Amino acid sequence: MTSNGPGLGRVVTPFISSLLALIAAFVVGGIFLEARGKDALGAYWLMIERGLASPLGISETMIKAAPILLVSAGLLIALKAGVWNIGVDGQFLVGALLVGVVTPAVVDDLPRGLVWLIAALVGVLGGLLWALVPALLKVRYGLNEIITTLMLNYVAVSLTAWSVKGPFRDPNTVAPQTVAIPRASRLPDIPGTDVHVGLLAGIVAIVVVALLFRSTTLGFKLWVVGQSVPAATHVGLPVGRLTVFALLASGGAAGLAGASDLLGVKGLFQGEWQPAYGLTAFALVYLARLQPLWVLPCAYLFSFLDFGGGVMARSADIPTYFVAMVEGLMLAFLAVATAWERQGGMLGKSRWRRARLDAVETSPDPADEST
Amino acid sequence: MNGIDWEVVLSVLLSGAVIGAVPLMVAALGEAIAERAGLLNLGIEGMMLGGAFFAVHAAAETESLVGGLLAGTGTGLAMGLLFGVLTISFRVDQVVVGLAITLFAGGLTGFLARDLYDGHATAPTSAPDLAIPGLSQIPVVGPALFDQSLLVYLTWALVPICAFLLGKTRFGLNLRAVGEYPFAADAAGVDVDRVRYAAITIAGTMAGFAGAFLCLGDLSFFEPGITVGQGFIALALAMVGGWRPYRIAVGALVFGLLRSLKTGLGIAGVEIQPDFLAMIPYIGILIALVVLAGRTALPAALGMPYARDRGRSERE
Amino acid sequence: MTRADALTPAPPRADQDEIAVEVRGIGKRYGDLVANDDISLTIRRGEIQALLGENGAGKTTLMNVIAGMVQPDAGEIRVDGAPVVLATPRDALRHGIGTVYQHFTLVPNLSIVENIVLGTERGILLDLATARRTLDDLLPGLTLPAAPATLARNLSMGQRQRVEIIKVLYRGSRVLLLDEPTSVLTPAEVEGLFRILLRLKDEGVAVLLITHKLDEALAVSDRISVLRGGRNIAELGPDELAGADLPATRRRVVSLMFGGEPTEPVAALPRTTIADERADSPHLLSVQRVTSLGSHGAPVVRDLSLDLRAGEIFGLAGVDGNGQKELGEVVAGQRRTTHGRVLVGGREITNHGVAVAVAAGVGYVTDDRLGEGCVAAGSIADNLILKCIDRPPFARRGVLHRHAIDRNARRLIAAFDVRAPGPATRIGRLSGGNIQKVLLARELARNPKVLVCNNPTSGLDWKTTRFVLQTLREHADNGNAVLLISSELDQLFEVSDRVGVIAAGQVVATFPRRDLDAEEIGRLMLGGRP
Repeated sequence: MTSNGPGLGRVVTPFISSLLALIAAFVVGGIFLEARGKDALGAYWLMIERGLASPLGISETMIKAAPILLVSAGLLIALKAGVWNIGVDGQFLVGALLVGVVTPAVVDDLPRGLVWLIAALVGVLGGLLWALVPALLKVRYGLNEIITTLMLNYVAVSLTAWSVKGPFRDPNTVAPQTVAIPRASRLPDIPGTDVHVGLLAGIVAIVVVALLFRSTTLGFKLWVVGQSVPAATHVGLPVGRLTVFALLASGGAAGLAGASDLLGVKGLFQGEWQPAYGLTAFALVYLARLQPLWVLPCAYLFSFLDFGGGVMARSADIPTYFVAMVEGLMLAFLAVATAWERQGGMLGKSRWRRARLDAVETSPDPADEST
Repeated sequence: MNGIDWEVVLSVLLSGAVIGAVPLMVAALGEAIAERAGLLNLGIEGMMLGGAFFAVHAAAETESLVGGLLAGTGTGLAMGLLFGVLTISFRVDQVVVGLAITLFAGGLTGFLARDLYDGHATAPTSAPDLAIPGLSQIPVVGPALFDQSLLVYLTWALVPICAFLLGKTRFGLNLRAVGEYPFAADAAGVDVDRVRYAAITIAGTMAGFAGAFLCLGDLSFFEPGITVGQGFIALALAMVGGWRPYRIAVGALVFGLLRSLKTGLGIAGVEIQPDFLAMIPYIGILIALVVLAGRTALPAALGMPYARDRGRSERE
Repeated sequence: MTRADALTPAPPRADQDEIAVEVRGIGKRYGDLVANDDISLTIRRGEIQALLGENGAGKTTLMNVIAGMVQPDAGEIRVDGAPVVLATPRDALRHGIGTVYQHFTLVPNLSIVENIVLGTERGILLDLATARRTLDDLLPGLTLPAAPATLARNLSMGQRQRVEIIKVLYRGSRVLLLDEPTSVLTPAEVEGLFRILLRLKDEGVAVLLITHKLDEALAVSDRISVLRGGRNIAELGPDELAGADLPATRRRVVSLMFGGEPTEPVAALPRTTIADERADSPHLLSVQRVTSLGSHGAPVVRDLSLDLRAGEIFGLAGVDGNGQKELGEVVAGQRRTTHGRVLVGGREITNHGVAVAVAAGVGYVTDDRLGEGCVAAGSIADNLILKCIDRPPFARRGVLHRHAIDRNARRLIAAFDVRAPGPATRIGRLSGGNIQKVLLARELARNPKVLVCNNPTSGLDWKTTRFVLQTLREHADNGNAVLLISSELDQLFEVSDRVGVIAAGQVVATFPRRDLDAEEIGRLMLGGRP
């Protein structure tokens, strides 16, 4: 929250270690490619050329960034409040499905603006509802949200697939999908570009989250809960309500991302569609050190990777799974870098002993809790 | 509906359930050991995938089932060790490491499957069957439970072994202490790091074996993402089973049954969408968790490197 | 302290010159903080040595060095004359050095026997039966405090400490380090502990007692070393201690520790309000027949009633674990009650939660400073407003006003003499005493009508303790009520207008200031019948 020391130093070091983690991931990935007989440098160059140097690449990247920004914004709120929402994929799908079902039903009767508003609300509602069960389970029964959100992810995948193949199916098409939203009603592009306005929604969401944590009491309270639930209880914060809020907010954001993708890109919900932004968003948000404003360039980077993966698959015979590999490596290297910083520039086996003194002074003795 | 020999059908379904339960059970047992030591291993899905792919790959290359199993188990071991190094020695956050491993392993196995096998890798599955005389003659239950491959019997044996390990050995005592109050264990002279390393290596090995069994002992092929979240189900199963080996075994069997149900209902002519049925295991876990909510006592140090404050403080 | 006179230490043994452990030139720093500076110390067999010092003097660090928990930056350690490296607690144990920590190191879900054998068994299988037999022969008269299969979480503090001592003896320790061992014991349990220590001394065990309690050190030690500012500044040997004039020795040690600070007790302050003389002063806090359940479903606060008037400090004495912490939490709104009511200034706040209690004018200084009292990673400024995040001037309409937060912090830091670089400093970096000051400042800044303090001086040095007690007295004199929960009887006696004893969840007796009887109170604390 308030800065904890010399300002610049605290910005530069994390930035450098993030950068290094990034580079390291690409280097290791490149080595792997070479080992498999692919031309790593060539592939990377191709990715940069088509992705960064071509207008098509740039706009495709930005289009991909839209949902990721929204999902990341939600994830930020959750993580800062100490809630592990692993279920953003499921929340995304449910939001998208509801939009895909509701929008065609209203598109003929209402003006475009209203349609979009309804779609946005429906998307948020869908994601929010899908996060409601884990939220309540956590607050009421203390159930770890990691498991509950994870399980609901898989339920969502099956549920949406089933719905699209069954009750919400477009009877006029062969392939299982919802009724398509007419092009005229889909999200327009930002004037002068090929990118739909969903991107703006994503950017706004990030800015809102940044303001939330920097300047509002709500953000401050969420942060306290994320830092220490006992302290939050002690000072009288409504921990349960704040936790639920964080989960619902992140679910709603994921749902909105689903709406954005559906209205702006796909126009319909295909059976078996699972873009699975969740894990990517997680890696991204971590790369951005949970700082909202850093999410912007990181999201661009990851979308760029995603696009680049497609390029490499088509032109360099490199399966798209490579992108997941690089992202995983990046997350791992970054995590190591964070740990390295946190320990004052040290890693290694003896850290358990080094930290003993702190443990002696601060160790909570579970045996002391009132039984 | 006529002309179907129900005994045979039920027997086959039960048999399928038993086999289907194996990967879940093995992975969950390993995860229970890790969690008892205070390690939350979200990389379990990646470890299963890794074990699965490299088992099939090795089996295909060496044309030997044993070779494949060893390779798969070895992969799990290596990944478990990696998790250990990152979380124990480097003190990296466990959740992040787990997700990174799962993400990476998913990418790696998918990549190699595409690159080497065009997305579908097959392997020989020929483990010798062993029918236990007498018992295997029991109608319906007999062939399902007592006429299985040696491999299946072996994995069942893991259940009492794990129970013994946890309750009656020095290692088990150390494990329970480390997961609950690592500082005390350390002060008593227990090498906390070593115990945790052992625990996560065991967990990784078992997860790798589970993946290997899945693709060699059950399915006989590998495709990207073949584990479909079973690793995470095993994680949930370990919790739901209260980290007790026998309960985990029962839970795994229930799951296997639920999945067999899909096929069974199909044979019986009942029309249920496969997607709908696919949801059931996950919903089942949720319900089980809620029902047991009051009674699961997490190892107090689960998921934490010991000084939690410091871990959190960087998340600004 | 009456108990100090009851025990007479045995004359030093003839072979007490046999040195068990010697440390020379030990140095240890944490960043800029020098915890130990060229410390040398000798621990002899058959002798009880006290290591005295205020908080931050470095005694815990030194103990951790000898215990193998912490590696010194400089200096050497010798055991039985030979230099050793104690890289882990295991190494220390192997050399016969056993440590009993202030925060007990028993694993709650393991039994007594399992806790004792943890880390000692060889081989694959557990052999608890043999272990039990060995325990019987360990030290005649030193028995297990409860059935061997009892889980550690079900033991009392005194029982746990006994298990801890057995633990180290079981490992063959001949050198015993005890870190503030009496902080959680009743007077009777303290006597029991001292008896054991004297027995061990007779058996030739070397004992190092780390404490800041001067009277205990004087009661049982043969030798006293005084640490100050990370240095070993004085050593009082058996010749100086045996037969010395107790008050004179006491003054000398205090002046060594603090360099000539006056030892006037706080109670010398003239006081104008003595609660029971003003029967008409309002009840600020009224606890009426409150029952509250603990985590096992059994009541920890039982049908408890208590009334506090304006201007009074009510000292609640009790051994840890008798419901006092829970009572404090009930008043603060952190814990629910199943029966009874809590009224503050006539207003009912029962079971309405912390926010309502805070609004009604309740302040609560918890004993768990780092666990729940503050957010360790947050700045001092942030921590100071944790209980009034939404209030102007710190926030208006949901937006934080950082200037106001900062200004508030500067003001309070100065008023409470908090030693810190600035308001943006991470509170986790401060010493325990300074953190306590911040917490106290936070509560007092809101001028609560009813202030509940749970062990506010635990682990604090003498100067800070006096500051805290003085502040509490002033707060009460301003017309507020203070509920002081503590196990430090002498502090309670100094500042309280009334002292009550809590045992098994009930207030079993209340004594006005003029009728304070330490022995009776101690007896009641242990569950003696009123």
